[in-house]
Amino acid sequence: MKLGMDAGIVGWGVYIPRKRIKVKEIAELWGFDTGLVSSLRIEEKSVADIDEDSVTMGWYAAKVAIDRGEVNPNEIGAIFFGTESKPYAVKPSATIVGDALGISRRKLSSDLEFACRAGGEGLRISVSLISSKAVKYSLAIGSDTAQANPGDVLELTASSGAAAFLIGPEREAIAVFEGAVTYVTDTPDFWRRDCSRYPSHGEIFTGEPAYFDHIVNSVNILLTDLGLKESDFKYAIFHQPNGKFPLQVGKLLGFPKEKVLPGLVTPMIGNTYNASALIGFARVLEQARAGDRILLVTFGSGAGSDAFSIVVKEGVEQVASRGPTVNELLERKVYVSYSSYAKSRRLIERSIGW
Amino acid sequence: MRDVYIASSSMINISRHFNRGYKELAGAVVKDVVEGASVEQLDYMVVSSMLAESSLNQLDLATILTQHLGLKPMPAIRVDTGESSGLAAVEIAYSLITAGRADTVLVVGVEKATEFPTRVTNRFLSKVLDYEVEVLRNITPPNYAALIMKEYMKKYRVSREELTVWPVKMHDNALRNPYAQLKFKITPSKVLNAIKISEPITLYDMFPIGDGAAALILASSRVARKSGKEVLLVRDVVSATSRPLYLRDDITRFESLATLISMLRRKYGFRIDDAVCEIHDSYSIYAYIILEELGIARRGASYKEVENLVYVNVSGGLKARGHPFGATGVYQVSEVYNVMVKGVGGVKFDGAFGLTHSMSGPDYNSRLCLLERVV
Amino acid sequence: MRSSISIFWRRKDSYYKVLLTRCKRCGRASFFARDVCPYCGSSDVSIVKSSGRGRVVSYTVSYFRTDSNEEYLPLVIALVRLDEGVYVTGELRDVEPAEVREGMEVEAVLRRYSSDDPYGLIYYGLKFIPVIKRC
Ligand SMILES: [Zn+2]
Repeated sequence: MKLGMDAGIVGWGVYIPRKRIKVKEIAELWGFDTGLVSSLRIEEKSVADIDEDSVTMGWYAAKVAIDRGEVNPNEIGAIFFGTESKPYAVKPSATIVGDALGISRRKLSSDLEFACRAGGEGLRISVSLISSKAVKYSLAIGSDTAQANPGDVLELTASSGAAAFLIGPEREAIAVFEGAVTYVTDTPDFWRRDCSRYPSHGEIFTGEPAYFDHIVNSVNILLTDLGLKESDFKYAIFHQPNGKFPLQVGKLLGFPKEKVLPGLVTPMIGNTYNASALIGFARVLEQARAGDRILLVTFGSGAGSDAFSIVVKEGVEQVASRGPTVNELLERKVYVSYSSYAKSRRLIERSIGW
Repeated sequence: MRDVYIASSSMINISRHFNRGYKELAGAVVKDVVEGASVEQLDYMVVSSMLAESSLNQLDLATILTQHLGLKPMPAIRVDTGESSGLAAVEIAYSLITAGRADTVLVVGVEKATEFPTRVTNRFLSKVLDYEVEVLRNITPPNYAALIMKEYMKKYRVSREELTVWPVKMHDNALRNPYAQLKFKITPSKVLNAIKISEPITLYDMFPIGDGAAALILASSRVARKSGKEVLLVRDVVSATSRPLYLRDDITRFESLATLISMLRRKYGFRIDDAVCEIHDSYSIYAYIILEELGIARRGASYKEVENLVYVNVSGGLKARGHPFGATGVYQVSEVYNVMVKGVGGVKFDGAFGLTHSMSGPDYNSRLCLLERVV
Repeated sequence: MRSSISIFWRRKDSYYKVLLTRCKRCGRASFFARDVCPYCGSSDVSIVKSSGRGRVVSYTVSYFRTDSNEEYLPLVIALVRLDEGVYVTGELRDVEPAEVREGMEVEAVLRRYSSDDPYGLIYYGLKFIPVIKRC
């Protein structure tokens, strides 16, 4: 649907943990042909340290978003924390981040779960809250320490990272939301049962009926609603479970590689689930110019996709300079072994207590 | 003010006493100290233990001990001032007698530090720091010893190697002490190459974990005279607290100790050269600083003088005698008593004064006990 | 290990932010939020939020094992001088022990201090990391 252009991005922030593991090492350990790694177009993935989780990473991203926006945290009236790796199954992550950042106690506050697109839903809700003037600012966070069963092909991509967007009134924004469409169905391509440690998935079934179908539908409806075509967009960011799918879906929709690559970060850090498309979007904002139109498309298994059309305004460069950029975070890295990664992500079973 | 004398003392060897609980350890020294004192009755018992709640799962240790030991009903109190609890017990006993509240006080220091695996005991003992500010934020006592050691080395341009002289000396001293936990010699290279605890602190810069118990009977002159125990006078026991490490202007100084020693000098005109001392060397860097605060050595140069110190930590110190936390302060007084009255392993001190220093953390609190020979 | 809910909760502002107690009587500022000045005992204090940025004055690499820190070892514990001139000790993360330097610029970030695994609470609070970007 077409939006009133009255809500936009006031600030944004990203967090990528410093540790990286070469995907080739994981593939070799579990006996995958390393050709699979190149076909997935993913070189390395980020690894949250043992004292990090989606709350701590989300905190950092949100802090940078607030710093960039130069807003008083007490004026933030809502926090939506999109994750599928909540540290607590019951107990909100959003309130921890809210109190730690000194955000107003009079706020809407909840954790959203919709596989990898809960962060996208957080963005949609935030835009609506701002448009309706229900709150002055709203914070949408996507953060995950993505779980994958050791040895599952998913382990080649599942990684850790966070992104946060501070949504506020158009006059303070450096980019405004022009339109948004959400397209969801009941499609069981990927799930994790209550109390199970690792998700299960339909492997090739996650592709065509899930990822591709939902993204194609959300984007096509958006283009129709707004009366726009592919060539009206300078950049297109798609959810990126691997380095291959975003380019394929782009091609399917008529977006050339050049428009997709600037926002494609998965080859360098893996699939950060709820932060995946959002980190790509942040990277694009950090190189965008006033007047650029950006297509942002999330996807979450289960399944659904949000497509946003965003138009960049003046001042984006200045706001970008107030925090670490995605490229700077990509450069901050140290390689770790599989054993170090296994310890950091608690893949090694330990008995607790003495 | 009434004079206070040491009527008798008792210790057991510090070790991993797996087959004896705190009741047996305390029972052994109580029996012994009571026999040695030849006093008619006990008016008060003061028990010190640092880890009773954590390690023994026991509250009101003093009452439970009187019950277990079949002692005649009497007032009994347990004191805790962290690692200096033992000397705090002496301090309370001394105060009870000087105030006229008691004529004979039984002081019992007891600690069972081996009831849990080391990493659990390490968590327990870390709580001598501020739990809310330091412990919860993952700071532990050896971290502070390490930061202080680095600062000391930088400030006085002293090498890590030069600071190995203290633990080596303490292990030598402990060979003469029948109650010591670590009775073997070490070398500077053994100190340097031992497992790291918190760089640059290694295992041999730190006290070992062990169980122990020591007891004293303090008596007023009225009681002491009757039994011919007017030998060693407890001249004074003083204590002070200080600020946490991160609020200190100079972390190579122990200010509460400095305050206490100057107070004793002023009040009693005693000179440190006339004293045999037991000091709280929980980490070797603390020994160097304590020596300097006490005026035994020059600032930044104490390591050069360690070799010639005959009457400091004759016992082997916390480093080698051991550090059964709440009992340590009682051990120290017993050791000074022995070295002044009977001699220990061929060492006898004939001078006028004995001084014991006990503290918790890096001088978070410090206590000094001044003993004086009467005959 | 089981920590207390209320001890942590009551002071969470002091764990989630670097708070300083500024004394109006003696003029000194000190780490942690208190209702009295630890230097002079005055109650005439105000709590101010530090930027959380500073420099490493000294540090130690700790292998001292407790049943609440063993997952995180070795720990780098640093003495940090905050930009406000106040000293604080705390954990330094995201740096190899061999790469820590005195004078290194650091910033405070939210991490886990410990957790009462597997069913208990997670204790979050600030630690230091080398600054990601000077802004
Ligand atoms: Zn003050």
